[in-house]
Amino acid sequence: MELTTSGVATLRRDPDQAAGDAEGADAALAASGDGRAFERLYRVHLARIHSLARRMIGSDAADDVTQDVFIRAWTKLATFRGEAAFGTWLFRLAVNVILARRTTLGSERGRYDDSEGALETAARPAAAPELSLDLEEAMSRLPDGARQVFVLHDLEGYRHEEIAKLLGIVPGTSKSQLHHARMALRKHLDR
Amino acid sequence: MLATLATLTALALGAPQQTDTTLPVRSGARLEVENFGGEIAVKTWSRSAVRVTASHSSRDRIEIGASDAGLHVKAEGHRGPPHVVDYEITAPAWMALNLSGVYTDITVEGAQGEITAETVHGEVKVSGGSGNVSLKSVQGAVTLEKARGRIDLYSVNEEIKASDVSGDLTAETVNGDITLRQIESSNTEANTVNGDITYDGTIKDGGRYRFATHGGSLRVSVPEKANVAVSVSTFNGEFNSCFPVQLTGKAKHRFNFTIGSGSARLELESFDGDIKICRPGAVSKEE
Amino acid sequence: MNDQWTDRLSEYLDDDLSSAEVTALEAHLAACASCRATLDELRRVVARARALDDRPPATDLWPGIATGIGLAPGAHPVVSLGQRRARRRLSFTVPELAAAAIALAMLSGGAARLLLRGSKAGPMATTATPAPMPMLVNAGAPGTNARYAAAVADLERALEQGRGRLDTATVRVIEKNLSIIDRAIREAQSALAADPGNAYLNLHLAEQMRRKLELLRRANALAGARS
Repeated sequence: MELTTSGVATLRRDPDQAAGDAEGADAALAASGDGRAFERLYRVHLARIHSLARRMIGSDAADDVTQDVFIRAWTKLATFRGEAAFGTWLFRLAVNVILARRTTLGSERGRYDDSEGALETAARPAAAPELSLDLEEAMSRLPDGARQVFVLHDLEGYRHEEIAKLLGIVPGTSKSQLHHARMALRKHLDR
Repeated sequence: MLATLATLTALALGAPQQTDTTLPVRSGARLEVENFGGEIAVKTWSRSAVRVTASHSSRDRIEIGASDAGLHVKAEGHRGPPHVVDYEITAPAWMALNLSGVYTDITVEGAQGEITAETVHGEVKVSGGSGNVSLKSVQGAVTLEKARGRIDLYSVNEEIKASDVSGDLTAETVNGDITLRQIESSNTEANTVNGDITYDGTIKDGGRYRFATHGGSLRVSVPEKANVAVSVSTFNGEFNSCFPVQLTGKAKHRFNFTIGSGSARLELESFDGDIKICRPGAVSKEE
Repeated sequence: MNDQWTDRLSEYLDDDLSSAEVTALEAHLAACASCRATLDELRRVVARARALDDRPPATDLWPGIATGIGLAPGAHPVVSLGQRRARRRLSFTVPELAAAAIALAMLSGGAARLLLRGSKAGPMATTATPAPMPMLVNAGAPGTNARYAAAVADLERALEQGRGRLDTATVRVIEKNLSIIDRAIREAQSALAADPGNAYLNLHLAEQMRRKLELLRRANALAGARS
């Protein structure tokens, strides 16, 4: 199976112990069919998964892909054995779903107006600091490959070897794409 | 008709379960696996036996029906949320496979017999196969390599990829690219509505080849010594060739040319996209 | 020379250089103010990236997910196909005999597949010269056109009835692809309107229509299989 937990360094703080235990319980409940437990898990992880989707493949498809991730997670839950934090497992699954989706989006003709995707995302939450908006906006202007490497490396803490496997490139390309992204972003932020 | 029924019951309650069993099979037996969610992954070995490993909820049990015709694997059990099972199966390379699921990814590695694999939401990835090979998905890419025979590849919303395949080949999708490389065929048809088609393969004497898309582009290889009558149809697209061609007929939205004796027939149709022919190895999607 | 050093700054930041390379780079940095400035900027980009907050989507995605996994009350998708069908059903005008004849053949069970694809024995229909196809029959266009539309309507109705057995995600994919085909049909029709005699356009339209029928049949088969 494609799920591994080794080699993924996260830059985020781990959930504290109590929350981790509660989540483990919810994961077990959801695995045996408890929809409420799954909804709780969804609420906890939605922002992270959706942000990953948005940054990797853009806002238009992010809602759709996020739904796909959670639907896929539900069907695969029976195989989640609790040897890693549920969030890590879910995140890994999300990366796989999002990357598989890339090829579909690549083939869609620009002219075709997917009525679902054409829905504009509503105004962003007022609480988001302007600094974050600038960076995300700048990121969305990067070419796909560079942006995805940047997200996986600098935001999510993957190593180049791992990124190379995920994206089907060699580690050298991952490194140069990362550098390219950082150099381009630095120019945007300076404006 | 089932001669014997081997039923394997999962044990404890609450935790996900593993089932692992190996059954002998006779030469000529077929393997059928029905799933709903999860995976079906088939590998091969040289033993005359099938090993079924399954990870699933404790509320399901895996039933393997054994008869003279072969083995039939599916999950039975509780009502309510559907069965989600991850199967890892090792079977004899000669065994014919019939694999189906709904929210199921299907992978096959090293098979040498017939293969039918169908899913709705999930990828189908097969390496191997001979005779009739039929792979279908709706929301999922279909990928095939190293197969020979009568090949049918269908998706709806995603791409189709075939490489190192020989025989009669049909590939059809609606919203996806079709990429065919290292193809040896006298009869190939690739059809999509919203996607590009790439074909890098043989054009054999007497062969029939048709590549049609509505909105996408075509990249097709024509070897130097080929003998082929080519017909190019497009409403809005451009035609380019990597080598000189001489038109033999021209009408609005369609023109023809012949290479060599014109023995094979090649249809290139794109309503809206560009059509390009090149030598084998020089055919690639990006400009 | 400047470019050569600049290109390694990211690796330096990530501790990806050998100690010899680090020594050489740091020696250069000591002497190159613009490199130091660039390095600083890169550091800030990385720091900003790490500080980036996660934001949820503006709309709640749970209802879609719940129906997708069969958790909604009744476990049947609520959205009515009827509303969208009115928008999607086109009154096909197929003025040309070529397409009409092929559509007629389609309804009688797929013989047209051979016409479009050719058999191994005979020539493919589409390789004919631009002159009208000899196998065409004056099928009395109005009746034929209506029959195709009727076949589509039958399948759509069957699909609506069986729709409850399909999960939302499948319905979404099917409807999305029906739209893609409908769009191709519309484009082919408008090209044909300007150029009704054109053999390629006629066959292309007929093929898109066949694909729509096939997709509807496949969707119905899926709904039937999941009862």
